[in-house]
Amino acid sequence: MRPWLRWLILPVLVGPVGWLLFANIGVDPRTIPSQLVGRHLPAFSLATLDGATLTDADLAGRPAVINFWASWCVPCVDEHPVLLDAAARFGGDLRIVGVVYHDTPDAARGWLGRYGDGGWPDLVDDGSLALDFGVTGPPETYFVDAGGVIRHRVVGPLTTVSMAEGLAAIGVGG
Amino acid sequence: MRARVWPLAAGVLIAAAALVAVSSLGPSTPPTRAAQAATLAGELRCPDCQGLSVAESRTAAAQAIRAEIVAQLSAGRSADEARQSFVDRYGDWILLRPTAPLVWLVPLLALAGALVLVTTWMLRRRARPVSAPATVDAVTRGRLDEETEALDA
Repeated sequence: MRPWLRWLILPVLVGPVGWLLFANIGVDPRTIPSQLVGRHLPAFSLATLDGATLTDADLAGRPAVINFWASWCVPCVDEHPVLLDAAARFGGDLRIVGVVYHDTPDAARGWLGRYGDGGWPDLVDDGSLALDFGVTGPPETYFVDAGGVIRHRVVGPLTTVSMAEGLAAIGVGG
Repeated sequence: MRARVWPLAAGVLIAAAALVAVSSLGPSTPPTRAAQAATLAGELRCPDCQGLSVAESRTAAAQAIRAEIVAQLSAGRSADEARQSFVDRYGDWILLRPTAPLVWLVPLLALAGALVLVTTWMLRRRARPVSAPATVDAVTRGRLDEETEALDA
């Protein structure tokens, strides 16, 4: 074997293996890139907890926060005050829509009674709207601009910081 | 010797051709819709679990995906179209098997590279001339003889 070739072996072997080991350090393996950001929100027509019907067309013209939640979802309790706060502060400029994810309407109503009903519509989803949004599990929140385009997604409970980031992405607050 | 090799080579070739022909034919009957749905569910990652397929999981999301697979296939869509509809919403992340051809090629290339390296190394080792027997001068030879005799005694 030529001597220069011998010096080549180590970097050729160690390089790719090292890259594989270190390239993804700092990347949370549980985060899932959203396909929906930048796309128009999926079409839907669903009943709300109040018995009304809400469609995607009803959201047109105003920025919206679409929040998937469930009464069995523990972190949803933590993020609920953040949603209530946003509703109180930006009420007129912002539309908040809850989507009850794999839950019964009665359980959802009971949960709202316990933790505070913000007055926004909550859609009862059999799971198909969650699939259309690519939801991985509650809580999960999508920020839709006035044109109906999804601009931001937060997986897991909202915080005041992530809420502000999402709202900034749809031109609310800031 | 050569006369024996040719029939053997021909036999191996025919067997290989037959194997390729049979494997390309695939199953004679098309899979049922339920089988197609089960296969597809096994290929999709369950969104709200860790490292489980939709087929293996009992979570709400997995059940919803299984139901939608069945609904899509019943509506006349092909398994590929149904798979693509999930990729459109969840991205390649939803697929348990990687689709990038590189991922499948790299191990094969690494194996081929290792084979080439080992083969060339072994061939070179074999081709290396055996070192000439060491010459022993008369004085050393005499001392060796004496010491061997002393050991034998």
